Amino acid sequence: MGRKILLEKTGIENINTYEVYRREGGYSAVEKALKKMTPEEVVEEVKKSGLRGRGGAGFPAGMKWSFIAKPEGVPRYLLCNADESEPGTFKDRFLMEKIPHLLIEGMILSSYALGCNTSYIYIRGEYMWILRILEKALEEARQNGWLGKNILKSGYDLEIYVSPGAGAYICGEETALIESLEGKRGNPRMKPPFPAVKGLWQSPTVVNNVETISSVVSIVNNGGEQYASIGLGKSTGTKLISACGNIRKPGVYEIELGISVEEFLYSDEYCGGINNGKRLKACIPGGSSVPILPHYLVTKTANGEQRLMTYESLADGGFATGSMLGSGGFIVFDEDQCIVRNTWNFSRFYHHESCGQCSPCREGTGWMDKVLKRIEYGKGNMHDIDLLVSISKNIEGNTICPLGDAAAWPVASAIRHFREEFEWHIKEPVKCLETNYGLVKETELEA
Amino acid sequence: MIKTAFINNIPFNFSEGEMILSFVRKYFEKDYIPTLCDAQNLEPFGSCRVCTVEVALQKNGNTKTVASCHTPVIEGSYIYTHSEKVNKIRKNIVELVLTDHPLDCLTCEVNNNCELQTVAAKVGIRDVRYPEGKNHFDRKKDLSHPFMTSDLAKCINCFRCIRACDEVQGEMVLSMAGRGFDSQIIKSNNNNFFESDCVSCGACAQACPTSAISDVFESKSVIYDKKVRTVCTYCGVGCNLDVAVSNGNVKSIQAPYDAEVNNGHTCIKGRFAFTFYNHPDRLKTPLIRKNGELTPATWDEAYDFIAEKINEIKSKYGPDYISGISSARCTNEENYFMQKLFRAVIGTNNIDSCARVCHSPTATGMQRTFGTGAATNSIDEINNTDLILVTGANPTNAHPVTGAKLKQFAMKKPMIVIDPRKTELARYAKYHLQLKPGTNVAVLNMMLYYIVEEGLEDIEFIKNRTEGYDEFKNHILNQNINELEKISGVNKELVKQAAIAYAKAEKAMSFHGLGVTEHLQGTYSVMLLSDLAMITGNIGKKGVGVNPLRGQNNVQGAADMGCQPHQGAGYLDFTKPEIHNLYEEFYGVKLSQKIGYKIPEMFEAMVEGKLKAMILMGEDVVQTDPNSNFVIEALSKLELLVVNEIFMTETAKMAHVILPASSFLEKSGTFTNGERRIQRVNAVVDPIEGTKPDGQIVIDIINKLGYKQADYNPETALEEISKIVPFFAGVKWNELGINGKQWPVMPDGSDTKILHKETFKRGKGKFQTATWHESPEITENKKDFPYILTTNRELEHYNSGTMTRRTNISQIVPDDVLLINPVDAKKHFIAEGDMVCVMSVRGKIDVKAHITDEVEPGILSSTFHFPLVKMNVLTSEISDTEALCPEYKVVSVNIRKSKGVYQNV
Ligand SMILES: Cc1cc2nc3c(=O)[nH]c(=O)nc-3n(C[C@H](O)[C@H](O)[C@H](O)COP(=O)(O)O)c2cc1C
Ligand code: SF4
Ligand code: SF4
Ligand code: SF4
Ligand code: FES
Repeated sequence: MGRKILLEKTGIENINTYEVYRREGGYSAVEKALKKMTPEEVVEEVKKSGLRGRGGAGFPAGMKWSFIAKPEGVPRYLLCNADESEPGTFKDRFLMEKIPHLLIEGMILSSYALGCNTSYIYIRGEYMWILRILEKALEEARQNGWLGKNILKSGYDLEIYVSPGAGAYICGEETALIESLEGKRGNPRMKPPFPAVKGLWQSPTVVNNVETISSVVSIVNNGGEQYASIGLGKSTGTKLISACGNIRKPGVYEIELGISVEEFLYSDEYCGGINNGKRLKACIPGGSSVPILPHYLVTKTANGEQRLMTYESLADGGFATGSMLGSGGFIVFDEDQCIVRNTWNFSRFYHHESCGQCSPCREGTGWMDKVLKRIEYGKGNMHDIDLLVSISKNIEGNTICPLGDAAAWPVASAIRHFREEFEWHIKEPVKCLETNYGLVKETELEA
Repeated sequence: MIKTAFINNIPFNFSEGEMILSFVRKYFEKDYIPTLCDAQNLEPFGSCRVCTVEVALQKNGNTKTVASCHTPVIEGSYIYTHSEKVNKIRKNIVELVLTDHPLDCLTCEVNNNCELQTVAAKVGIRDVRYPEGKNHFDRKKDLSHPFMTSDLAKCINCFRCIRACDEVQGEMVLSMAGRGFDSQIIKSNNNNFFESDCVSCGACAQACPTSAISDVFESKSVIYDKKVRTVCTYCGVGCNLDVAVSNGNVKSIQAPYDAEVNNGHTCIKGRFAFTFYNHPDRLKTPLIRKNGELTPATWDEAYDFIAEKINEIKSKYGPDYISGISSARCTNEENYFMQKLFRAVIGTNNIDSCARVCHSPTATGMQRTFGTGAATNSIDEINNTDLILVTGANPTNAHPVTGAKLKQFAMKKPMIVIDPRKTELARYAKYHLQLKPGTNVAVLNMMLYYIVEEGLEDIEFIKNRTEGYDEFKNHILNQNINELEKISGVNKELVKQAAIAYAKAEKAMSFHGLGVTEHLQGTYSVMLLSDLAMITGNIGKKGVGVNPLRGQNNVQGAADMGCQPHQGAGYLDFTKPEIHNLYEEFYGVKLSQKIGYKIPEMFEAMVEGKLKAMILMGEDVVQTDPNSNFVIEALSKLELLVVNEIFMTETAKMAHVILPASSFLEKSGTFTNGERRIQRVNAVVDPIEGTKPDGQIVIDIINKLGYKQADYNPETALEEISKIVPFFAGVKWNELGINGKQWPVMPDGSDTKILHKETFKRGKGKFQTATWHESPEITENKKDFPYILTTNRELEHYNSGTMTRRTNISQIVPDDVLLINPVDAKKHFIAEGDMVCVMSVRGKIDVKAHITDEVEPGILSSTFHFPLVKMNVLTSEISDTEALCPEYKVVSVNIRKSKGVYQNV
């Protein structure tokens, strides 16, 4: 059994209540930090831990914190990104639902480290019931003196508010989140300036994912070094993976970074293998925005090395033969799934979710949706495939926010690895409506 | 430190923080890098991505594509503006944009003047590879508004219109609704232009790169023979206008970006209210009253008639029985000749101008404290100050372009507004001191008290630069604050906070308007504003000062040129023998040394039979001067009333002779705006047939009366003026350039942005004290007339509306309204739109009610743009004690629901 940090106590009955959470040692990290540590020391421990952002980009949390500007007389803000709307990703929901006080404890620690007196949890609008869970937990924390003025008589004040989104994926992008929190339309901002300099209400701001913030509790309790000793290389600690698709045991798992993809996919402790004894066709290891891997690149890299569940190993091979750990949304396709249909499905999503300010993204996501739909329904032509590649190149790297990239990569990688399947849809306009293409031919694998 | 980066491998210097696009534009032509969402005077936005370039951190290093408009230049980086990759990206992006843009260029309004078209051609698009798809071609045009239009099928979602509305005008009317592909520009709550909150400034239309938002004059694309740069004739901001002319007709107006005054912005009046100029109502022939009827005559007949009458009155009663009112709407040169006509030709100092009825207290007050009655600083210093105090001014309506700048300021930094009405600025201001009309002196004294009490004076400045402080301090500390609080109705804590903020601000700038001057104690309020600036050291540097928002386009100039009864051209005091000699020598004739009548005194003199003739240059005194019935009575006593006008006004109807004048579009000269900026007015079209520029008319009369004066020509006129007006010494017509010069202009031609830098004009600044007095208007009438009526202006109209009512603006604002608080409305059973009878001791009028919390209970406010309403029947002839500026802002009235029915004019 792998070590658990975040989900360690989720099995305990009523751990979602304050009493049980506290009884099980909850909030001891706050006591430790506020009584014995300076904010700088907390930042130091997080730096030592090697903790990387769990929201998708994997940016080292300690380093992000140390960038925050500290102009005199200007407030600083911590925003917890609980917008979790990426298709295939549902780990934050699980964590907040099961053990809400862990996030709140992490928020207090992180806010203290950053010198924030007001912090926000921006939560996906569809997670209304979790918003209630969090508000209840916050009230309990407030009642018990963990929030408010002069917490633990340390002189430190903190308030945390929960604010719901209104159903836009783009508001998970950190600057769109800030705009939305300010009550505006969720258009991502240009960078620079970065949020660490000018974020919420033009003040220095840090945005971190739910899981990132929750991990800080263990780092403060046990020290950064101890956290760094878990995992492999620069992928330290544990990571929540939400696994779904054609597997026997879909669900949220906490893994030690560094276990093999093979173990994760096939062992009974995790996904338990492909459902119904089918063969693996493809896998998207990090949520809908990362490149898709064909079955022969899932458990092994292009060099034939074992593929591991780490930031580095999943990215091995770059865009040509690798992918990304992303937000940990592990989506598995068996041989009966249609890659064209799936790609179209994702494109439809990005088309719907583009905020529309960048012309390449606004128009490009629309066209990818339209063209893919045509191919899927047997109405495409061979130029369409090149057109898709051209559109995705146009978007990639040419937009204000990474949603553009996120929309381009799935299409570009699907065509890269499954071009024959796209061509087959065009060549077999009738058949493609009735049956599926199946696996990639073995000969393709060698090439 | 100079830093270097490479553009296509050639090194160039850049400054820290500069964006790649502006860096490249500095060295190459403006459209070297194509752009769509970038626009002049808007912040970078980064949404079209057409401006993409490749950047490498070192030579032959890996490149990254970035949007050049919002990416800062990195030292030593290599920027590639036209690499194969970049060219391809640009082309593909524009192609994508075109997939949702109707390709019917040939029938489009902006064909050949379309930025999208130009960029598409530039990036080499020949055809679009995409098949038919979902698009937005079926969006309906919006033609609801008299000026603004939209055709959003043409929209490319560049956000320029939204940003113009937010960043330039600050109106926030436009926004993007819906997301992604479905996103669409909306106005207010998805209204059409007419129903939206749009103030018709036209900034969005000017910013839009396509025809998606435009105006009825098609100003972006109209075909013209020439574009003439001139200056707006409406308010004292002095916006520069680019006027497109075709076949001798004015087609449209745009705001030039290189204008220092208005930087590519202007307002509804400047941009759209020009069609009055060839309105059928224009007067086109001289008229002489014969047997009670105004009958057409030739110019010579009219001039002979005038000359004969003047000579007759002069010999019968003497020159002091003749008077004139010059016009702040006319040029400096015209005003100069008007006063010359009276002083040098007729031989009297009975010459005044409408500056009397607006900012004469400013001139008097600031002359007493500083030595010069003009704005101490410049408008663009709004960008260099930390706090702004706005007293008795509603610039978002009356000085829209400056108002927009002030509003932008108030959204970011602290502002104090002293005003009885909750004006638009007051809504944004950090401190709004909502005082009872007529209590400025009380509130300003309170502010000064708290500054002294808190020990926040600038001791150094007071010691080195001012005099009279000890006496002043004594006076201030003896004020009864609780009493003043009661008088003004403003919470003293709030006044204290505002006072502290003003005093503590590193730099504080003060603006004031007619809400300060048009009072019994106008001059005193102006002096207290000067005191506030002096006591805090806010004078003589950038971003500070006392700055009157001058009402009319050339009210500054009319006074500068000597159209006032106590000072000659250049504010020189002719009662002093050496000055008297100077003028006599200069004009080559004997001059009178007797101070003439101020405007209100003129009307009294007429009633008393002491004035027999009057020449009015473009003034509708019946409509605009207080107590209209009295004015009418006075004018009817005259033996000769000559009116130069462009339209038949209420005053002109009473004239013996009417001389048809040309409008600002038809003549040249200079206007001096509220920041002392002398700007060139250039004739855009020939005078409408049958009319002459006022300057020429005045010169014709001068010659008729036997004094030799060459024809009207601004260049030679300025030569003459520069010899007698000291602060015009270096003004030359050909050297004024496109942005003019701010006086004083030295003989070497250099001009002055900031006054009183080292010393005050009068040497030391003089602290002046003032004690609040209730206006007799109130003390005498408040029993029967318990409400206080104050007057205000709408953005859309200009004064008596002679010009603006003759444009489609009347579709937007068709009549005057009376602002009334809901509490008072309820008391009198008045509903929105009901006619209200407003009575003062002098008369009564009917006006339409608008119920709003903009005014407090007990206070009413109304405009006077429409002759039908005759608002000035109510106003009193009480004037500022020092400068005789009428007290338009305080009238004791009573109200009742009227039996009258609403009539549209
Ligand atoms: C379109 C888009 C959607 C995103 N949605 C989320 C999200 O739902 N939750 C999240 O934590 N990060 C999301 N991100 C990433 C955030 O922008 C940001 O990088 C992250 O919250 C930083 O937290 P971390 O450093 O703790 O990972 C999204 C990014 C993009 C471009
Ligand atoms: S890339 Fe797309 S989602 Fe991101 S800012 Fe641009 S248009 Fe909006
Ligand atoms: S005309 Fe001016 S106020 Fe109206 S929408 Fe355009 S920018 Fe805004
Ligand atoms: S209306 Fe014009 S300025 Fe506004 S987004 Fe559309 S194209 Fe751009
Ligand atoms: S001009 Fe730079 S993105 Fe539009």
